[in-house]
Amino acid sequence: MITITLQREKCIGCNYCREHASQRFAMSKKDGKAVLLHAHERKGFYVVKIGEAELESCTSAAKACPVKIIKVME
Amino acid sequence: MAPAGGFDSLMAAIQGGAHSVYFGVEQLNMRARATMNFSLEDIPEVARICKEHHLRSYITLNTIVYDHDLSLIKTIVNAAKKTGITAIIAADQAVIAYARSVNMEVHISTQVNVTNIETVKFYALFADTIVLARELSLIQVKKITDAIKAEQIKGPSGRLIEIELFVHGALCMAVSGKCYLSLHTHNASANRGACVQNCRRTYQVKDREEGYELAIENEYIMSAQDLCTIDFIDQVLDAGVHVLKIEGRGKGPEYVKTVTQCYREATDAFFNGTYTPEKAKAWKEKMETVYNRGFWSGYYLGQKLGEWTNTHGSKAKLKKIYLGKGSKYFSKLGVAEFYIETHTLKMGDRILVTGPTTGVIETTVDELHTATGPVTEAIKGDLCSVKIDTPIRKSDKLYKLVSTTE
Repeated sequence: MITITLQREKCIGCNYCREHASQRFAMSKKDGKAVLLHAHERKGFYVVKIGEAELESCTSAAKACPVKIIKVME
Repeated sequence: MAPAGGFDSLMAAIQGGAHSVYFGVEQLNMRARATMNFSLEDIPEVARICKEHHLRSYITLNTIVYDHDLSLIKTIVNAAKKTGITAIIAADQAVIAYARSVNMEVHISTQVNVTNIETVKFYALFADTIVLARELSLIQVKKITDAIKAEQIKGPSGRLIEIELFVHGALCMAVSGKCYLSLHTHNASANRGACVQNCRRTYQVKDREEGYELAIENEYIMSAQDLCTIDFIDQVLDAGVHVLKIEGRGKGPEYVKTVTQCYREATDAFFNGTYTPEKAKAWKEKMETVYNRGFWSGYYLGQKLGEWTNTHGSKAKLKKIYLGKGSKYFSKLGVAEFYIETHTLKMGDRILVTGPTTGVIETTVDELHTATGPVTEAIKGDLCSVKIDTPIRKSDKLYKLVSTTE
């Protein structure tokens, strides 16, 4: 199983994650920060499990993030 | 106008004698990385402190703006309007248009790169204050301010347009902050406030065919020294500049207090007719004790090109070493108690106390006590007390100031 986490508080709203993995990331219209879709919050970290099919796009989203707040754990 | 990267710097700006402060809220400003900004919930408290001290307050909202940011912009502008923040510093037309639509005062950011009177006239339709590009010479600045008076160019408030200029602090190596380097190497757009400061690093030149390296005398080929105008502040003020802006929302409260204080004194001296080159030299020396990359006069005096620094980070002549936290203040005795968490505090040490309410206190230790009585030094784990005239708090941090050459 693959887990993705997003430390949302530190997001600067640059939109890169959505560019790379639009199925998993959206931009909140409310506060302009990234939203990790279908994730649960744990102490400020948003966590969701994804399938193999999403690994590549989410890994490139994590790589692109300028503030390094997206982690992909296999 | 002083930078406020947090409550401690806000108090430091007040202590330094600032007339106005600017700060970021959430991520849409040029220092987007979280630690230097206030949150939406902080706005009422910041506005309250500013009003209490008769300070004008400005929110920077001057990044590139995307569609998904529009709602946050409205939220921030509305909160600013509601709590009585003086103005919004804007660069993007979306921000300018929205702020005007709710009758919020707008200032045009240096990011807009305003360099001529026609552009001033254009932005006068929306803004009362304009921050000119840092690349202009003072002769060009004076032409603009003269024309504002001659042509009676007024902003929405009906007052003549006020011109603001950066007078101190870090300079971007690119024109008006329009730099692509950080985005190119780290995906981190400087124009979204995420600059990783590539220009502050050392570089080498390598022959790609055979790998030979060329020697470059100064490897900091792009790192501009810090702007400092205190030794010609008379010329800046003569050029008709209304607001002197100090850079440094990412810097410590001791920097904010010292630099603000120096420019306050220099400006007052100019208007009293007591400004002298000797005084300017003393102020400059004082500012060398806090964070700086070495000083130069920027482009205002018409120099050809940037002067590059030759060190990484600060050239400050004093550095601060963290010692511990505030514990209690005994107001009757005028004694502050600190908990030493690391290093040693000795008699005669110069100390710095900073905190969100305290701001900045700088003093010398001339009496030191622990539970056992008078001592000459307090070590890690000690609760010690020091004579200080102003109250300190639990949220305060204690540092000692030591020379960087030691």
